[in-house]
Amino acid sequence: MMRIAIVDDEPLARSGVATRLAAYADVDIVGEYGDGASALAGIRALAPDVVFVDVQMPDMSGIDVLAALAPHERPMAILLTAHDQFAVRAFEFNAIDYLLKPVDDDRFAEALDRARTALPYRRREANAPIDAPDPPKTWQTRFEVRVGRRVAFVDAHDVTWIEADGDYAALHGDEHTYLLRESLARLALVLDPSKFVRVHRSTIVRVDCVADLQPLSNRDALLRLKDGTPVRASRTYIESLLCALRSVGGV
Amino acid sequence: MTTTVDRRAAMPPFWLALAAGLPIGACMIVMALPVLGHGHATAYRLLYLALFALWAVPLTALQRALWRSRTSWWIASLALLATTYTMSVANNALGDAMAWLAGWPSTRPFAWTDLFAGIDSCWLALIAFCAIHAVVAYYAAFNHAEAQRATALALARDAELRALRYQLQPHFLFNTLNAISSLVAAERNRDAQQTIARLGEFLRATLEANDDHEAALAEELALTETYLAIEKARLGDKLKLKWDVGPHVLRALVPHLLLQPLVENAIRHGIAQRSVPGRLDIRIARDGERLAVSVGNDGAAPGSTSAQAAERSSAIGLRNTAERLEKLYPGDHAFVANARADGGFDVRVDLPYREAPMPAAGA
Repeated sequence: MMRIAIVDDEPLARSGVATRLAAYADVDIVGEYGDGASALAGIRALAPDVVFVDVQMPDMSGIDVLAALAPHERPMAILLTAHDQFAVRAFEFNAIDYLLKPVDDDRFAEALDRARTALPYRRREANAPIDAPDPPKTWQTRFEVRVGRRVAFVDAHDVTWIEADGDYAALHGDEHTYLLRESLARLALVLDPSKFVRVHRSTIVRVDCVADLQPLSNRDALLRLKDGTPVRASRTYIESLLCALRSVGGV
Repeated sequence: MTTTVDRRAAMPPFWLALAAGLPIGACMIVMALPVLGHGHATAYRLLYLALFALWAVPLTALQRALWRSRTSWWIASLALLATTYTMSVANNALGDAMAWLAGWPSTRPFAWTDLFAGIDSCWLALIAFCAIHAVVAYYAAFNHAEAQRATALALARDAELRALRYQLQPHFLFNTLNAISSLVAAERNRDAQQTIARLGEFLRATLEANDDHEAALAEELALTETYLAIEKARLGDKLKLKWDVGPHVLRALVPHLLLQPLVENAIRHGIAQRSVPGRLDIRIARDGERLAVSVGNDGAAPGSTSAQAAERSSAIGLRNTAERLEKLYPGDHAFVANARADGGFDVRVDLPYREAPMPAAGA
């Protein structure tokens, strides 16, 4: 269980975070605070793992709250802000991500993923080795798709990138796009990670199809695939993408 | 706009005015060379040179004061002539005093007229100094006024560009709000949330953009993707997209919000009016020192005529883009919007290729 606190001076904004968190089974909201001072006291008393904290609050800003906490008291912070320039300073204070208002569900999930990944390293009792889920013995190399009423098979190496499209995943090839009834999260687990990398909550690219990577001012990046398609990569995934690109010898 | 030139700011620094005296001092030395060694000529010449350097300071101050108080040029000239004359008479008197103190035998009897008439010692040099100083001051004032004019022009251009940029917002904003309200009415909460988030992202990028009127193409592409995600939510499968972004273009500097109005125009007047899926082609390629951008659709509703195409080409987004291009790259760009034979509509933009600096907060 991830223990979470929410700090925002607007009740509606707090309930927005709480409602989104309700969709996740592994989180527990331990406190909600409407101002900096009570948040400071609450965080010290309850020591949550993660705090969603609004940057712009009267009297005491979210950054002030984080700055007032001693390093060992600071939870992993996910900042909520209307302006991204405020968020950058917060990375000094154990912030792991920031969410811009209005909050995007995909970004929200990404930020929570980051916290979830970092949690075992953060908890002191987790000195024991962290068990990663066993990778499947073999990676999926082809997809079964429906084209009209017939079933077709698409080879993984004919797919350049994959995009989430509602309940489906759109497999983009050189000529055609096929729809596969599969979530991107599951595809990310069954595809060979040295060939396919997730670059966004809703996008997976084939690593050897990436031609250029250009950082953006909001810490995301824009990829250009060899077929001329631009694809956004969000900051959460850039590190793993760079690793995969280096091992492939691309870019 | 009337500008009152701040004369204090327009004046050259004091040291520069004094430096104007250096070439004259050099001339005085050169002219003294033939007479050196004749009697006490060396002593006289050194005295005059020293006095010239000394007088230059109060003379500069006086000239600057006259300049600052906007005295008319002929009064200033008379005042400077009188002052320099007095100074050179004083030079003569000091020269005679030096001879008298040193006990040098005079070559000719002392005459009062010599004191006032024999002014070759310094008057010409001091007048020349005033003239050079005037030229330096005039040049500085001219440069200052020119810089002010350039600043005023840049500010005006800036304001116009900003106005053009904000002109792009409203209709897109209202259309999107309408789409969101439809999603809410249909209880498609997730789609509604997603569209709101995209709209927020789009507005942030356009309203909060820094004061630069240009951005890296990569930023523009990301913004266009955000915009297209909103359109896809509205149009669904009707929108088929074909990107062709060429190599070495992601860092190209392009006008902020170059692509979005072009893409919006292609969607509004092409794909959105059809009942069958429409295709949107976006091509960006670098050709040497030029960047070519083209946005096209594969045809509007059947029965479209070139007259409609002409009307379409005057759509607000296109006109706005054309105006901004003209302001940013006067005489160094091309903007062509025309109907193709197959019923499609193409907008092509050609720009000088320049590279954006790497983003400061690089990932």
